[in-house]
Amino acid sequence: MLRKKKEEGFKIIIVGCGKVGVTLVDQLSKEGHDITVIDKDASIVNDVSGAYDVMGYTGNGASFTTLVEAGVTNADLLIAVTTSDELNLLCCTLAKQVGDCATIARVRTPDYSKETNYLREKLGLAMIINPELEAALETASILALPNALEVNAFAHGQATLVKFRIPEDSAIAGRTIAQVGQSLKSNIIFCAIERDKEVYIPAGQFTLQTGDVVSYVSNRRNASTFLTEIGYKSNKVKDTMIIGGGKGAYYLAEQLIAMGIKVKIIETNKARCEELSLLLPKAIIINGDGIDQELLRAEGLQTVEAFVPLTGIDEVNVLLTLHAKNASNAKVITKINKINYNEVLDSLNLGSVIYPKFITSEAIVAYVRARQNSGNSSNIETLYHMFDSRVEAIEFKVDADSSITGTKLKELRLKPDVLVSFISRNGRIIIPTGSDTIEKGDTVMIVTKNAGFTDIQDILN
Amino acid sequence: MNSKVIRYVFGKVLIIEGALLLLPVLTAIIYHESEGFIYLAVALSSALMGLLFSLKKPDDYVFYFKDGCFMTALCWVVLSLIGALPFYFTGEIPFFIDALFETISGFTTTGASILPHVEALSHCSLLWRSFTHWIGGMGVLVFLLAIIPMNGGSHMNLMRAESPGPSVGKLVPKAHETAKILYLIYIGLTVGEFLLLIIGRMPIFDATCISFGTAGTGGFGVRSDSLLSYSPYIQWVVTIFMILFGVNFNAYFFIIFGKFKKALSMEEVKTYIAIIIGAVAILMIDVLHICGNFFTALRHSSFTVASIMTTTGYATLDFNTWSVTSRFILVCLMFMGACAGSTGGGIKVSRFIILLKTVKKELLYYLHPKSIKKIKIDDHPVEHEVVRSTDVYFITFVIIFSASLFLISFDGKDLVTSFTAVAATINNIGPGLEMVGPTGNYMLFSPFSKIILMIDMLAGRLELFPLLLLFYPLMWKDLFFSTLRENRKQKKNTRIQ
Repeated sequence: MLRKKKEEGFKIIIVGCGKVGVTLVDQLSKEGHDITVIDKDASIVNDVSGAYDVMGYTGNGASFTTLVEAGVTNADLLIAVTTSDELNLLCCTLAKQVGDCATIARVRTPDYSKETNYLREKLGLAMIINPELEAALETASILALPNALEVNAFAHGQATLVKFRIPEDSAIAGRTIAQVGQSLKSNIIFCAIERDKEVYIPAGQFTLQTGDVVSYVSNRRNASTFLTEIGYKSNKVKDTMIIGGGKGAYYLAEQLIAMGIKVKIIETNKARCEELSLLLPKAIIINGDGIDQELLRAEGLQTVEAFVPLTGIDEVNVLLTLHAKNASNAKVITKINKINYNEVLDSLNLGSVIYPKFITSEAIVAYVRARQNSGNSSNIETLYHMFDSRVEAIEFKVDADSSITGTKLKELRLKPDVLVSFISRNGRIIIPTGSDTIEKGDTVMIVTKNAGFTDIQDILN
Repeated sequence: MNSKVIRYVFGKVLIIEGALLLLPVLTAIIYHESEGFIYLAVALSSALMGLLFSLKKPDDYVFYFKDGCFMTALCWVVLSLIGALPFYFTGEIPFFIDALFETISGFTTTGASILPHVEALSHCSLLWRSFTHWIGGMGVLVFLLAIIPMNGGSHMNLMRAESPGPSVGKLVPKAHETAKILYLIYIGLTVGEFLLLIIGRMPIFDATCISFGTAGTGGFGVRSDSLLSYSPYIQWVVTIFMILFGVNFNAYFFIIFGKFKKALSMEEVKTYIAIIIGAVAILMIDVLHICGNFFTALRHSSFTVASIMTTTGYATLDFNTWSVTSRFILVCLMFMGACAGSTGGGIKVSRFIILLKTVKKELLYYLHPKSIKKIKIDDHPVEHEVVRSTDVYFITFVIIFSASLFLISFDGKDLVTSFTAVAATINNIGPGLEMVGPTGNYMLFSPFSKIILMIDMLAGRLELFPLLLLFYPLMWKDLFFSTLRENRKQKKNTRIQ
């Protein structure tokens, strides 16, 4: 198998086996951790412990007895991702008292969203995650660069990873990476290219084609200049229509209004509409059924610049996306809560798709990896999954001199499908060429198809 | 069906068997026996065949419960076929069917023999016979899990198929670690018994074989009179270890981690001990008449109860001559068997607990038709699925038992012989009553009956259903077609590229 054998994994307890819980089990058990899951529903516990190499307990995760039985006294980490915020917090507080383990809670309600830092400090949690908020932040950053499929920030927002599809008659189609690199003024590096469901980490001789989904890294300013340079418009949208007024819609609207984008929310529930109008005085709140074609037309679907369906039902979101693509030129972002039909979704050509459960699990996996390596020379700062987890972008912190430091990149014997995409040195982003070196104190981002890298040394052959 | 994983695991099992066969080779070297060459040849060809099978790693390690069951049953059959070869090729057991009977009896920890004089066997064959008990006791696939960590979460399906008991759980989150802990406990107890036997001045060779036989709750000895001619101390040691190996291994796990209270409060273990004490008390009355001495009687009756209840099948006295009541109790103990999660056979104490509680629940239902009551064990509710599968297990057991008895009856043996022969094989005990009693053997059955008894032994060890799956034509069709489909898909892919 791809990954190297690790000495010993963490003992992790996951409370709640919903979408995020199961995604976490999947990710963390692949990394070799000892996982115990707790859920109230015996049949779900059975399913999960049958499908993955984990132990299952049925019971209330906030009960002392259940926690002790599940081994909280020896656990290294407890992750509470049940549907209830309060239960998650109680669970973590209790585990902290009983087992003195690190704890992560999912807290989604907007009531607490402004207080997460306070809660985290006072209750002694390692991390509070809010998938809805994270998804909203990501949606907002895409709307700032709407022609891209995906935009991620690295190195505290200094470097940007942009994903876009090469349109027909593009200037860069049919040219190799090396040729494109020479002809451009902006300093970027191509990280990964997806073609026919296959992902490539490209070398200089790789020839780009129309329809390829390309990911590139640059510093923040160059992100949009590159797109303009190759004749790709990247205008920020001016207004956005959101269908559904849930938590996600609230977080997104808040972000967008702060960015100066006009927001229109369509929500069926009258009471919720009134609530939203109080919370978001600058937004236009429409009380009506978002699936109603006539209503959408009346509210100006044809002319709107961005359209974000955020109903609770994935199927409806996908349908609305397809409709919007058909009826308007709007930038459309689809949120998928529980996916199982990746290939079908890909073939529908939906454009930008956001998976809150992956955003959550990525954040937690990055934390776990970082903690696991805290004794070693290198640390993982963040970890992103791209192209359905087939490619990972990992930010390593280089704390000490090793065989990797001080050598020119072209002289390092890297594993296949590994790319050094940027080096962050003294707060400056270096998009590396073959003659650059990695030095002590740098933060290095590696893009790779191999899973399970935990140390910067792992990239060497 | 994931035929590639099945092939891969199959190959690994063959390699393991090749490696295990080296132990009798070693014995042959020590005792300068020429039979060792045959064992070496079989070991090498088994390992070679395994290497060929497992050469290509599967790209996908996911398989389902049915695959796990199918794989387990198939592995056990092939394991026995190969294990029988040395007996046949050395000429020590001239008929292959007999050799196979002896090997299956070994692997399934039954201990039913077709040999009238075991002393005639070479040392290496005697050791291999006992060693099969040890291998079969905890299971080959569990061993595989313990030494080869496989990726993916499907291994539980293997363990569930091979481990006895109504609901198989893990001790620690990882199946690989669980299997390792189980084997460490197993090895630790075996070594403990071996050392205590050596202290009792038992010859090293005998002590090794007897320890293997006790650990797997098998019952093959190295003398025709089983354990009669050994000292009382040795008989006591074996008695205690037979009882220990019949205890649910979870109890030892709890003890290792200092949770004595939890280990002692396990309902199944408590019931198991209570049954042993009760049965010994009743048998004492009978045995006192024969022996006269209280302590001798206590020794013999405890030994017999432990031996039958844990489905080991060693003997110190010929219980054929005991009273009807005593013999009836022994037959009851045969069906009862040891604890779930131990190396013993039988229906298992925990299943009987569940069945009795179901009866109690049904009675309550008659009194209060609208009452709701959940069955609990160790203060944990027993899921409806487990209760249902226990009921079905019992019914299936009765059906297989009756069918086997019917098929055996054509041999024309008396009812007690036939009945206890089936009971002693399907419950993996070994000796029955009358002609198949401790002094008798299974030589007298026709080849057809022997085949039936072999199937019973395998069915009993694998808890019926995995073996029944082998007789289910759709499984084979599924396996065949999935292999075919894979090949076609591969061809198609290469064409596209």
